[in-house]
Amino acid sequence: MRFRFCGDLDCPDWVLAEISTLTRISSVKMKLLCVQVIRDLLDEDIDYDKVAKLTSDAKFDSGDIKASVAVLSFILSSAAKHDVDSESLSSELQQLGLPKEHTMGLCKSYEDKHTALQEKLKESSLRLGRLEAVNWRVDYTLSSSELSEVNEPIVQLKLQSQDPESGSTDTTVVSVTADKFRVLLTELKQAQAMMNALQ
Amino acid sequence: MLLVLSDEHKEHLGFLSEVDPVVVGEFGRIAVEFLKKGSNSKIYEGAARKLNVPTQSVQYGVEGLMYLLTESSKLMISEVDFQDSVLVLGFSEELNTLLLQLYLENRVELRHIQSELGPSLPCYHNLEWRFDVQLASRTLRQQVKPTVTFKLHLERGGVRSARVLQTDPATLLHLIQELERALAEVKSNHCRRILRNIK
Repeated sequence: MRFRFCGDLDCPDWVLAEISTLTRISSVKMKLLCVQVIRDLLDEDIDYDKVAKLTSDAKFDSGDIKASVAVLSFILSSAAKHDVDSESLSSELQQLGLPKEHTMGLCKSYEDKHTALQEKLKESSLRLGRLEAVNWRVDYTLSSSELSEVNEPIVQLKLQSQDPESGSTDTTVVSVTADKFRVLLTELKQAQAMMNALQ
Repeated sequence: MLLVLSDEHKEHLGFLSEVDPVVVGEFGRIAVEFLKKGSNSKIYEGAARKLNVPTQSVQYGVEGLMYLLTESSKLMISEVDFQDSVLVLGFSEELNTLLLQLYLENRVELRHIQSELGPSLPCYHNLEWRFDVQLASRTLRQQVKPTVTFKLHLERGGVRSARVLQTDPATLLHLIQELERALAEVKSNHCRRILRNIK
């Protein structure tokens, strides 16, 4: 059976198993649990005490708590990843056996934070060698050991980027003469115009 | 198969017959602790003082026990073989039973520790990917060049590393085909016959 929220693939067995664990708590508590899980997905601090309190009535042990957080995490992030609208998500979850009130609670939370989730996922997508900082300085060379009157401006650029493989910060310092810098600027402006045309 | 103990080893273990079986039990416990967590020479000194014997005898006794246990678990020798191997040492019945108990109780855990000591290759941890289309470069505009970029996260002995790989869709399809062929090999008759014999 193919499900849109699983990317048109079969639903994993563990998700099916843990959906039945979710039915053990009330739908109101589940909606609050969804709010906590979404906070975790958005990298805000998840309040584990609140989660423990919500699940204590249904006598969840630590394995059950972890499982229910994992399954909600999977459903919400997978639905955001495949851009599933909340109606389809609701019908698919009910097909998998999640009761109507629970499904409605989950889909309401999903709808509220749908855009924010997708923004966060976009941000954490693979990017190699992010440029972290650019510092520059313009100097004027008066004279040198080779020529007594030089009188030329020169730009020093310090680029801080992330190494693609190790993730640590690399610093590159280059000095560019006025002519070379003009060429660099023109080319970059052309690239910028192309990027703006695409947006 | 029988364990053959060297003369030096027999000499070191000989010390155990001179002390109380209770003390031997204690030494056994210390030996297993050391195998799990690493040795601590202060314990040898403390024990030597209490028993009024040179520290070296205690050290040799415990290390002899450790070696006996690791060799026995490594070769996975049966109860009967262990008893026969230990008979050579000329210990009392009580001591022999104690040593056998020690071996049987800790065998599984020791084998688990020993299995992790072998050489290891970097293994898969995570795979991030992205799909891009190159539209233009400084030298050529109006292009359409699709590429897939991977960041393969590997782990080896607790140390994480990452490799960046890039490919075009045709090569990617070829890669997928080859990997699926490798998976299909497991289902071939030849592989099935071997797996049946190992089990």
